[in-house]
Amino acid sequence: MITIHNLTRQFSNGKGIFDVSFDVKKGEVFGFLGPNGSGKSTTIRHLMGYMKPQKGRATVFDYDSWTEQAKAREHVGYLPGEIAFLDGMNGTEFLDMIAGMQGKKVKEKRSELIHLLQFDPKTPIRKMSKGMKQKVGIVATFMHDPDIYILDEPTSGLDPLMQRVFIELVLKEKEKGKTFLMSSHSFSEIERTCDRAAIIKDGRIVTVKDIHELQSMQRKIFDITLHNLEDVEALKSSSLSIEKVDGNMVRIEVQGNYDEFFKELANYHVKNVSATNQSLEQIFMDYYNAEEVPR
Amino acid sequence: MSPSLYKQMMKSNFKSIMSFGMASAVYVILMTSLFPMISDNIDKIQELTEIYPDSLMKAFGLESFGTYGEFISAEYYGLFFLFILGIFSVMTAIQLIAKLVDRGSMAYLLSTKVSRAQVAITQISVLITGLIIIIFLNFAGGYAAGELLIDDQYAIAMGDFFQINFVGFLLFFAVGGYSILFSSLFNDEKMAFAAAGGVTFLFYALDMAGKIVSDLEWLRNLSIFSLYEPAKIAKGDVNVVLVSLILFGLGLLMYIATVLVFRRRNLPL
Repeated sequence: MITIHNLTRQFSNGKGIFDVSFDVKKGEVFGFLGPNGSGKSTTIRHLMGYMKPQKGRATVFDYDSWTEQAKAREHVGYLPGEIAFLDGMNGTEFLDMIAGMQGKKVKEKRSELIHLLQFDPKTPIRKMSKGMKQKVGIVATFMHDPDIYILDEPTSGLDPLMQRVFIELVLKEKEKGKTFLMSSHSFSEIERTCDRAAIIKDGRIVTVKDIHELQSMQRKIFDITLHNLEDVEALKSSSLSIEKVDGNMVRIEVQGNYDEFFKELANYHVKNVSATNQSLEQIFMDYYNAEEVPR
Repeated sequence: MSPSLYKQMMKSNFKSIMSFGMASAVYVILMTSLFPMISDNIDKIQELTEIYPDSLMKAFGLESFGTYGEFISAEYYGLFFLFILGIFSVMTAIQLIAKLVDRGSMAYLLSTKVSRAQVAITQISVLITGLIIIIFLNFAGGYAAGELLIDDQYAIAMGDFFQINFVGFLLFFAVGGYSILFSSLFNDEKMAFAAAGGVTFLFYALDMAGKIVSDLEWLRNLSIFSLYEPAKIAKGDVNVVLVSLILFGLGLLMYIATVLVFRRRNLPL
């Protein structure tokens, strides 16, 4: 549904995207991961036809995203990363305008979405909070029932409850066979919905991987608090990778070997467990440049 | 052209269109209501204006005040009309494209199947509709006031008054044309505003300088404003068809260029 082939655009400051290639298949939820300024939005802007590729091409629904941009966009629901609405309208007026431009009957789905996201669309846009604007944007993106969704950091500004509602919405659309390209800088956001993900850094694709593969690559840090110090000593001599010991607390690094981790821990009295996710930056540091990972 | 976008854009710009339109109509009516008084004291006024240098009189079209047509052309259409419509054209043209690109809202207008060319054509239509509404209010206000307040012997023929307004509309059809072209060329709202406003001011200044200093009359040839001479239209000294065709052609060219530029450029959205 989406193919990007050797897409290149260099800006005057030397940044840009270089030879970006990947494809998104029908019915797939594809994550597009990278830190801020890595080229996610630039890639998406090419898909929407806002920029002309210097090299390479992108197609959406088999239409060239530059030369046939209007046809390509007909099948797309787009949620921009930075939402900037027009002045002097309320949410309903904005949604009416977009619906008219989309040229499809949207009434039913629109009220469904508004009900789901729980906001008052009659509020003037300039009085809306960031989260509320994001909700209006989500309604505009989903209401015309497109085949392809291109979402640039869709959950920014939403509270955790609404993030969950949004993820359910994505999964529901996915069941209907819709295709998604979703950018994010947070791995945990992507891992709940995506099938595959591309990681981009400094404008270049680092890897395109199955999400489970990425998950197994991800190291997780567990802080285990044990009852007594003898157990701590015993744990230290196990085969698990121990990062740090602080009194009764042992910090263990787990990368895929959860089975071993749990079997070992079953031998002790555990008082408390807390887990911290490895940041995205660290994940592809692991992938990209293993020797630089700070220990 | 996208009807939904047009509707919403008209709604967003309606207040500004109406305030420019009403302000200028009220001004025409006010000036018209002053005419009988001026006409009664024409001798004294002419004595007064004799002390002005000829060039200055020519610049402001003060050579003769005898008829209402000449009076309103000099006092309004040669001066405030140009300011009001000039400001409206530049401001609205910048708001319709450059501002939306600069602030990022254009991303939404270009997120549907409506093509770039269609968006540009819609925004151009909004600008032209605004100009038509303002000129219509001018014409209607001036005409109604003229009918009610001016003695028949002085009154301007409706045809001449219509021509003054019509050529005035075409002048700003052209000004709006290059303004919206600048609007589609620049990423930065302020740059676009400076370019469109600067060119408009330059045109106005060249025309003025050419009128005041007779040695510099050739400067007027560089300015689009020299094509609009309401006092001469009132006297019937202007080939209205030719001037109209030139202004319309210039404007049309600019609008076509606007669509072509907007279709092809990279947008920082």
